[in-house]
Amino acid sequence: MNVRNPIRPLLFAAALSVPSLSFAVATPGESAPAFSEVDASGEMHALTDYEGEWLVLEWFNKDCPYVRKHYGSGNMQALQKKYTDQGVNWLTVISSAEGKQGYLGPVEAKAEAESHNLNASSAFVLDPDGNMGRDYGAKTTPHMFVINPEGDVVYAGAIDDNDSANPAVIPDSHNYLAAALDSAMAGEPVAEPATRAYGCSVKY
Amino acid sequence: MRPVVLLQPLLFIGLLLALTLPALASTTATGDHVKVRLITPSQFAAGQTTTVGFYFEVDPQWHVYWQNAGDSGAAPRFDITATGATSGDIQWPYPARLPIEHLTNLGYEGNVAYLFELTPEPESTSIALDINLEWLVCKVDCIPGFGQMSSQWPVADTTQWNKSDSDKALLETFAVRVPQEAAGSPWQATALSANTDGSATLTLNGSGPAPEVFPLNGDWLGAQAPSAMPTDDGYQFRFTTQPGVSAPASAGFVIAQQERAWRFDAVPLGGDDSTVAPTTATTALWLLLAAAFAGGVILNLMPCVFPVLSIKVFSLMQPGVSRRERLREGLLYSAGVLTTFALLGGLLLALRAGGSAIGWGFQLQSAPVVLALAVLFWLMALSFSGVFEFGHKLMNLAGGARGGAFATGVLAVFVAAPCTGPFMGAALGAAAVLPAVSAMAIFIGLGAGLAAPFLLLSASPALLRRLPKPGPWMDTLRQFFAFPLYATVIWLLWVLGKLVGDIGWVLGCSLLLALVFALWLAHGAGRLRTALAVVIALSAITVSGATLMRAEAPTLQASSTLWQSYDKTAIAEARAAGRAVFIDYTAAWCITCQVNKKLVLDTDHTRELFKRHNVLAIRADWTRFDPEITEALEALGRNSLPVYAWYPAGSTQAMLLPQLLQERMITELFDSE
Repeated sequence: MNVRNPIRPLLFAAALSVPSLSFAVATPGESAPAFSEVDASGEMHALTDYEGEWLVLEWFNKDCPYVRKHYGSGNMQALQKKYTDQGVNWLTVISSAEGKQGYLGPVEAKAEAESHNLNASSAFVLDPDGNMGRDYGAKTTPHMFVINPEGDVVYAGAIDDNDSANPAVIPDSHNYLAAALDSAMAGEPVAEPATRAYGCSVKY
Repeated sequence: MRPVVLLQPLLFIGLLLALTLPALASTTATGDHVKVRLITPSQFAAGQTTTVGFYFEVDPQWHVYWQNAGDSGAAPRFDITATGATSGDIQWPYPARLPIEHLTNLGYEGNVAYLFELTPEPESTSIALDINLEWLVCKVDCIPGFGQMSSQWPVADTTQWNKSDSDKALLETFAVRVPQEAAGSPWQATALSANTDGSATLTLNGSGPAPEVFPLNGDWLGAQAPSAMPTDDGYQFRFTTQPGVSAPASAGFVIAQQERAWRFDAVPLGGDDSTVAPTTATTALWLLLAAAFAGGVILNLMPCVFPVLSIKVFSLMQPGVSRRERLREGLLYSAGVLTTFALLGGLLLALRAGGSAIGWGFQLQSAPVVLALAVLFWLMALSFSGVFEFGHKLMNLAGGARGGAFATGVLAVFVAAPCTGPFMGAALGAAAVLPAVSAMAIFIGLGAGLAAPFLLLSASPALLRRLPKPGPWMDTLRQFFAFPLYATVIWLLWVLGKLVGDIGWVLGCSLLLALVFALWLAHGAGRLRTALAVVIALSAITVSGATLMRAEAPTLQASSTLWQSYDKTAIAEARAAGRAVFIDYTAAWCITCQVNKKLVLDTDHTRELFKRHNVLAIRADWTRFDPEITEALEALGRNSLPVYAWYPAGSTQAMLLPQLLQERMITELFDSE
């Protein structure tokens, strides 16, 4: 009667159930998590496609008041235009699960991009299973990430420093994203590489 | 209308409008799911500071936010322009943690008043306020709201509230929840550190159950409830931080306990955790180690360990066992105990690192392990009774005499697990949240304590000589020792029944029967019968083991009309409604739990008390692994049973009762009422 035997399955189960010890989310100064998602036009986007280029990721939910604040005022589209004109890639991601607020199928997503005058580099990237959002640690809409040509995260956080839902505050707000992009692209350190994102919870 | 108002025609008109035309009244604002009302006196006293407030009436399940909204959402904004008075900063009643899907928000479930002070300027005869409001109200989805208010009030000799004073009382209920100066707090923040693993640790000194701690600012610290680890002088709270945000020079906290709260505006950051208060940490560890050792020694006396040990002591007393052999046995036994504790410690740490919650005694949550133990004890008991020679057959099977001592050590640890004494409970609870090295040290400490008495006995001939000389009485004693073993088998079978239902009993008993039959068949018989006996024994073990693995979990039955099974939502709802909650964390394999249940909890006295005080009585059954219950236990800083948590009506903090209950303790819970 060896009592260690019955324990062995337990030890095995324990060994198998120990997942990776790091729960890395996109963190400034570290490599960006890999992703691979299809956009509303059926085109595939992966992190590796953007090697050697600047990439902005933006989390979006059409019904979120904070997203409306930045789209209704034209602020987000202006930023998209300004930086894509400078050769920056900009992906706008929808991580809402099917049946939850902000979920869009490919057809609605294309219509929505039209009505929002989306100026991103592609159609909405659709992440209904939330894998990309969770890997990046996207908590809110909007939640912004900047990835440099080396594939490292240089900014993660809010779009600006004013968490009011009122679009009237935008002109007086300090835009973290623009500041981060401007410094990083000029080869300077980003003054505030991480901030607390504000807005609605991502509807995983 | 008051005469003094009549003397001031302009004000009179203003007030008349405000009172008679509520639709145009400018001290209210409404939005989806929210009504906001500015609560003020109808007249202010000159030179006297008065607290006024915005009262938010929020639809059920919707909530508004604290100054630090947490992972999402936003605090309301109040843009106040005061004429004829100075207005103070907004005072925020301390919040609750609101789990919103994958996030944690800090806010208010239900209505709330945000307060501020107004002090009339000298010589001013009236106060005018112009207010712009913005708020966010959320359930899962969020709706922003905006409002404007403006109004005037007279300033005279006295403060006048509306007739019933109900508004004033309403503000006061929220005023008591506004955090007070840190100086008056029973808790002192002694250290704050940023750890290399990205967490942050706040050390609070004080006594009593752990308070709730909220970071004033969410830029660096996460909103998730911090884990609380008891120290010598209080608690250490471990917070998550925002990824990539560098630690500020200081951070502010609000500490809340029993409906009161205190504000610590700036706790300075003091380096990383390796440099913070090393002396406190060491003394705490030494104390924990001593407690672990003492707990280990006490384990020797536990009903489930004692019979196993007595077998071993017994073998030491055999004639012809030399001193060296004895010492070797003792050392081997100690090695067995320590190895098992180290392995279990490693397992616990590995699971903890993997984010899995697990508790002590978990090995008895596995049906095959329980069955194997039952078989082992059954065979040992039969051997003691003289049915067959244990020493020759079973001990050889376990790997000879030396392996036997090692195996006894291993066995002692496994059967000791459910009998955790009060010492061990606290030490293990700490181990679940301590750094890995300290946690391992505690496990080794427990093992050393368990092994010590036996090692001492085997090393010291003087002590062993004081034990009676071997003789015929030993046979009698050996036969007597069979009975506690039979009793243990009954208990293990009962646990098995709890784990997998009636089939557990039947399978277990059938297996034991088959084994006795095989023993009888093989006894003094030829090869054929022996071979047949081995086949029967092996197939019985295989069949029952396999059936057990497949056996369904027993359906949970509501244990009684008073006791309900564990339901997080029901508990949260009852506490929110100001109902007292008593949670009995129990398991079939926990003997102390059964004793407490029989003698204290399931008595007419307790039932009657609980019913009279409308207590929600919860029986959290941990017989089988349950992640929610494990999480709840961890939140209480415990991972072994029994645990009795008492939430007095309207309190936010759990009070933990001793592991050995008495009716008097239950009565005392209601004495203060």
